[in-house]
Amino acid sequence: MAAQGGTVKADAPAIAIAGLEKHFGTLKVLADLDLVVADKELVCILGPSGSGKSTLLNIIAGLETADAGNVTLGGKRVGYLFQEPRLLPWLTAERNVDFALQGCAVPAARWGELKDHYFALAGLSEFRNYYPHQLSGGMRQRVALVRSLCVEPGILLMDEPFGGLDELTARRLRVDLLRIWRESRKTIVFVTHNAYEACYLADRVVVMAHGRIRDEIAVNIPRPRDYDDPAVFDVNRDVVRRFLAAAELQPEHASALPPVPNPVSHSPGGLP
Amino acid sequence: MGLRLASIAGAIMLWWLLSLAMPANLLPGPVVATVTLYKDLAQGDVLPHLAITLLRVTGGLALAMLIGVPIGILMGINQRAEKVLDIWVMVGLTVPSLCYAIICFMLIGLNEAATVVAIGLTAAPSIAINLWEGVKTIDFKLVQMAHIFEVGRARILLRVLLPQVMPYVMASLRMGLGIVWKIAVLIELIGRPNGVGFKLFYWYQLADMAQVLAWTLLFTIVMLVIELGILSQIEKRLFAWRPRVGL
Ligand SMILES: Nc1ncnc2c1ncn2[C@@H]1O[C@H](COP(=O)(O)OP(=O)(O)O)[C@@H](O)[C@H]1O
Ligand SMILES: [Mg+2]
Repeated sequence: MAAQGGTVKADAPAIAIAGLEKHFGTLKVLADLDLVVADKELVCILGPSGSGKSTLLNIIAGLETADAGNVTLGGKRVGYLFQEPRLLPWLTAERNVDFALQGCAVPAARWGELKDHYFALAGLSEFRNYYPHQLSGGMRQRVALVRSLCVEPGILLMDEPFGGLDELTARRLRVDLLRIWRESRKTIVFVTHNAYEACYLADRVVVMAHGRIRDEIAVNIPRPRDYDDPAVFDVNRDVVRRFLAAAELQPEHASALPPVPNPVSHSPGGLP
Repeated sequence: MGLRLASIAGAIMLWWLLSLAMPANLLPGPVVATVTLYKDLAQGDVLPHLAITLLRVTGGLALAMLIGVPIGILMGINQRAEKVLDIWVMVGLTVPSLCYAIICFMLIGLNEAATVVAIGLTAAPSIAINLWEGVKTIDFKLVQMAHIFEVGRARILLRVLLPQVMPYVMASLRMGLGIVWKIAVLIELIGRPNGVGFKLFYWYQLADMAQVLAWTLLFTIVMLVIELGILSQIEKRLFAWRPRVGL
C-alpha cells in the first residue's frame, strides 16, 4: 500500500511499519496497518478523531506496544511533539530544554550552540527565561518544538501539535514549521484532522480511518510553499473528497474505495 | 496586608465591645487578657509549658506525616490499595480524637510516647486524604514526555513527580498542624501534668476566665507565627514558579 518506488527512493526508509495491530480490550484500534516513510519525508496522517492516529504515533515512539506487526526505525532518535506543550511548569523555557538535553545525554559542550540555534529559529531568543505560564499558548508550543529539535531527532512525530491553538497562531506556526524543516531536514510524521494543514505541509497525505490506511495522495506542490497558494486549495479539495469517502467506509469493508456519490460543498477544518 | 490588619483590629474591637456588655469576670476584655498573659510570661511559668506542647505537636505531626503521606500516595497510585485502605481512612477520620487518646494511654501508659502516638493517629487520616487527592491530579502526560527524552526513572521521580506532589505535601503539613494543635491540647488536658492544655484546664477549674483567655491568646499567636512566619514562607520559596493569582 505504501508508495515506496525502489528506484525513486534508494535510501533505507526512516520508518517501515508492517501488519501493525493494536487492541484496547475488545476495541480494535489498529488493524493490519502498513506504512513506509522515506528518509527526510514529511508525511501527514489525516484521519477523524478516534481513528487510531495517536495510538500509531505512540507505538512508533515506543510509548505503547503493538499486539502484532513490526515497526522498523532507521536507527535514529525519535522526537515527539504532543498536542499539548507538556512543559514542566516549574522550569523556565530554557530549563525545560535542558531537562530534555540531559535526558538524551547530549554532551553539555553542545547545549549552548543547540539552544542558541533553535531558540533563534523559533523566534524565542528573548523568552528563554520565561516560565510557561508567562507565555502564550503558541509560544509554549514553540518552546516544545525547540525542545524536540534540540535533542536532534532523526524522526519527529507530531500529534495535532497546532490543534489546540487559535487559527491565526496555528497558521503562523505551520509556516514556521516548514521554514524550520527546510533548514533542519528531518523525517516528520505529522498527524492532523485538518485537511488543509495536511496539504500545505506534506509531501504525501495518508488518509486513515478505523485503524487502517485507506488512501494516500502525493502533494506535488513545489517548495517553499505559499500558505494561500491556490494549488494547495486544489489538492485540499481532492483530499477532503477522498477523506470523506474513506471515513464513511465501514470498518469491515475492504480498502478499495467506492466512487464518491456527492460533490463536497465545504471543507471541514480547512481555511476559507 | 492592610485588609488583614483591619480584620484583626475589627475582631479585637468586637471582643472589647462584648466584654463591655458582659460582667467583667465572665468575659474579660482584650486588655485584661493581654496584661494577664504578660504577667504570666514575666513569672516564667509560660515558656516551659509552651515548649513541652510544641514538642508534642512536632512529634505528633511528624508521626502523622510519616503515616499519612505514604498511605495517601499508595492509595493515589494503586487502585487495589485504594480499595483496601479507603474504608480504614474513613474509619480513622470518624473515630474521635478522645478515643485515640484514651486507648493509647490505656495501652501504652500515661507517657509522652502515648501522647505522640495518639496525636499522630488522629491527624494521619486527614493527611492521607489530602495526598490521595493530590496524587490523583498528577499529570502522567509529563511522564510520557520524560520517557520520550530518555529520562531515567530516578530523575522522573525527582524532577517530574515530586514537584507535582509537593504542593499537596505542604498543604497537608499546614492542615495537619491545625489539627495536631487542637488534639495536643485536648490530650494534655486528660492525661498530662504539663503543657498548654493542662494549664487551660487548671484555670478552667479555678473559673479564672482572664487566665483562660490569656492562654488561648498565647496559643493563637504562636500558631499564627508558625503558620505565617514559617510555613507560608517555605511555600512561597518552593512554589515561586507558580502564576500569581488574585488581587
Ligand atoms: N489507553 C487506551 N485505553 C483504551 N482505549 C484507548 C486508549 N487509547 C486510545 N483508546 C481508544 O482507541 C481509539 C483510537 O484512539 P486514538 O489513537 O487516540 O485516536 P486519534 O488520535 O485518531 O483520535 C479511540 O476509540 C480511543 O478511545
Ligand atoms: Mg489523537
